[in-house]
Amino acid sequence: MAAKPHRNLVRSYAQDLRLFGSPTKRAGLAATLIVLLLLPTVVQDDFWLSVLIYSGITAIGAIGLNLLTGYSGQISLGHAFFIGAGAYCAARVGGDLGLPLPLWLLASAAVGAVLGGLIGPFALRLRGHYLAIVTLGLIFVGEHLWRNLTSLTGGNNGTSVLAQPRIGPLDLGALEIAGENYSRNQGWFWLVWALVALVALLAKNLARTRPGRALCAVRDHDQAAEVIGVRAGRYKIGAFMVSSAIASMAGALFGAYQQHVSPDDWTLLLSIQYIAIIIVGGLGTIFGSILGAVFVGALPALIDEYSSVIPGVATDAGGEGFISVFALNQAIFGLLIVLFLVFEPRGLAGIWFRVRAYFKAWPFSY
Amino acid sequence: MKTNKSIRLAAAALGLMLAVSACGGAGQDDDAGGGKEGAPGNTAGFDGKTIKLGVLTPLSGPVAVIGKPLTSGNEVWFEALNAKGGIGGKYKVELVEEDSQYKTDVTVQKYNKVKSDVVAFAQVLGTPSTLAVLPQLRTDKILAAPASLDAFWVREENLLPVGGPYQVQAINAVDYYLTDGGGSKDDVICTMIQDDVYGEAGQQGIDFAAEKYGFSVANTQKFKQGTENYAGQIGALAGAKCQMVFLVATPSDAAKIWGTAAQARYAPQWFGQSPSYTGALAQSAIAPYMQQSVLIVAEGTEWGDESVPGMKQMVSDQGKYAAEEKPDYYFAFGYNQARAMTAVLEKAVENGDLSRDGVLKAATEIGTVSFDGLTGDYKYGPAEERNPPRASTIFKVDPAKPFGLAKVKYLLESDAAKEFEFKKADL
Repeated sequence: MAAKPHRNLVRSYAQDLRLFGSPTKRAGLAATLIVLLLLPTVVQDDFWLSVLIYSGITAIGAIGLNLLTGYSGQISLGHAFFIGAGAYCAARVGGDLGLPLPLWLLASAAVGAVLGGLIGPFALRLRGHYLAIVTLGLIFVGEHLWRNLTSLTGGNNGTSVLAQPRIGPLDLGALEIAGENYSRNQGWFWLVWALVALVALLAKNLARTRPGRALCAVRDHDQAAEVIGVRAGRYKIGAFMVSSAIASMAGALFGAYQQHVSPDDWTLLLSIQYIAIIIVGGLGTIFGSILGAVFVGALPALIDEYSSVIPGVATDAGGEGFISVFALNQAIFGLLIVLFLVFEPRGLAGIWFRVRAYFKAWPFSY
Repeated sequence: MKTNKSIRLAAAALGLMLAVSACGGAGQDDDAGGGKEGAPGNTAGFDGKTIKLGVLTPLSGPVAVIGKPLTSGNEVWFEALNAKGGIGGKYKVELVEEDSQYKTDVTVQKYNKVKSDVVAFAQVLGTPSTLAVLPQLRTDKILAAPASLDAFWVREENLLPVGGPYQVQAINAVDYYLTDGGGSKDDVICTMIQDDVYGEAGQQGIDFAAEKYGFSVANTQKFKQGTENYAGQIGALAGAKCQMVFLVATPSDAAKIWGTAAQARYAPQWFGQSPSYTGALAQSAIAPYMQQSVLIVAEGTEWGDESVPGMKQMVSDQGKYAAEEKPDYYFAFGYNQARAMTAVLEKAVENGDLSRDGVLKAATEIGTVSFDGLTGDYKYGPAEERNPPRASTIFKVDPAKPFGLAKVKYLLESDAAKEFEFKKADL
């Protein structure tokens, strides 16, 4: 019997491109899926579910930004604008017209793509800091629009987003399977994380095929990319469209979950938070976007839960102690981000890749 | 073969999920009331001894300067109440405080965190945060007291506001200016407002007053919170020769605005909506300008005013339970808020029902709650019949006073303010 090649031996390009090529990766995928399916039934706590739902929504938006910034090297501070546009679209299409989930989600994506397509051409002429400033302008133009287009956005008061998570007879807001009732947060957890998986798969597919390689070429040197036959302009605009379509979907989910949004939700701070997420998670990796979103979303909640046991920490306003739980929370969080950037510039995903490489070569790891 | 494998995998996962999920639903579970009059049965947030109330407030970040004293006001009221025995003389009240950071998503998360452990929310601070949790308050049937003077809350049955809304303050300010303030309706009256929902509320009040008193607003300057330079707006107001300017801002912006006006030697009669002011302004370099040109329209009376029984009681409670707390407008607000919530809880205990429905029902039955002069009396009842106080107090800046404010006209209740109608907002 001929010896089978070792599972780590890659003999063709197609093999190299496989998403879940090795048995360990497939097992990891299965384990992740099972965890995602079972988690809400084990952790029924509304607080942790809502933290994870917001993290999931953020992960979707971060994947979008990572495609644009991490893969194609276009810095954008305007991400919050597209997220806001998606939320308002969901309010009108999903709430007022009462269309089902797939339709309002796709409508938001379409609106995002169109807006991204309008902004994209600026990236043809501008690079680096200049592009950052132009997209920064987008935030302020957006804020003006959100505050004044009252029929669309409700003005300063904001608007209710009554888009329902309903697909045909299935209402994820009040799920009933085999006689068992599930809470709104449980239903939303499954919805959001299924969408995270879907968007991640689509983004990964984009990144590992020709468009993805073209984007990387544009990122590394756009003129060189043109020389080897990549139409840099087309891909830059395309990257903007895909990225903002995904951002708008995240916005639609944010709005529909929170049920009320106002212009104060889409400030520059939100854009910066997204940039922090993809840097902490790992630029140019899909997995890193998800890790970063969970890290930034869930870590403050974790610190919040456990910092009250530290001595000298005041747990209520005006209580005893030299620092309040809340101030400590922010300080620890800030410190962690700084430490990450100093010691692991490739982000959380970088750590993960190192761990994986170690075990791949085990027991001959050095 | 590959597809086969993944299908098997998916099927296995689904099977496993169904097996576990048979006990994994977290849908609504009804609380059985089972209480009798004066002795309510156990329910979410009530274990037969202690009533737990939630507080969602910014305890970190830029708005913590408001959240902390306000929460301290909540605490002091309930500590004083507990010392007397508590609700109905026997049930102690405990606050469950969560930091909302003044962010809507964090507020919603924290709301989810504590909602199943509390009877009601004693405080949700800020208009955006309140709007963000309102849809869930409705579905969960929970009562919450918003720490914000917006007019939206008046007609919402899930909310328990206190104090006269911003519109009322603005109308009373105009009334004062036109009567005791020595102005006339032929003066050039202008506004300078923050470009958000808080600014709009003040503007709405001024517009209503303009119609009632027969003047027109000559000039309106809008600004974004946190603007660095106000020379443009001040120049425009001076250019329009405004004699009275109604300002809707928060303290850090108000300080810059008045500083800019002082430098430009432009001194109209300013009226500041209550959140424009904070005690620190009276100790700052612009205090002389403010003493000369600024009046603040707020509620209640000056800090430590012995002639008002509510203030006397509050200062004594504060000395007993939070001696290190500085005199603060927001402290009084939190104190009042807690008093309104106490009225609801007393009623609910009397009815023997502290369940969520019971608390909401109690909120419609409490009638008028008096705040002993700390703010105008509020007529509660079913949301559509509520009548918020129409009185405001005009203060002048006086650095010698504890909070830097001395009353000029106490509880002014203009006819125009009484006529203002609060409509249910389409939120």
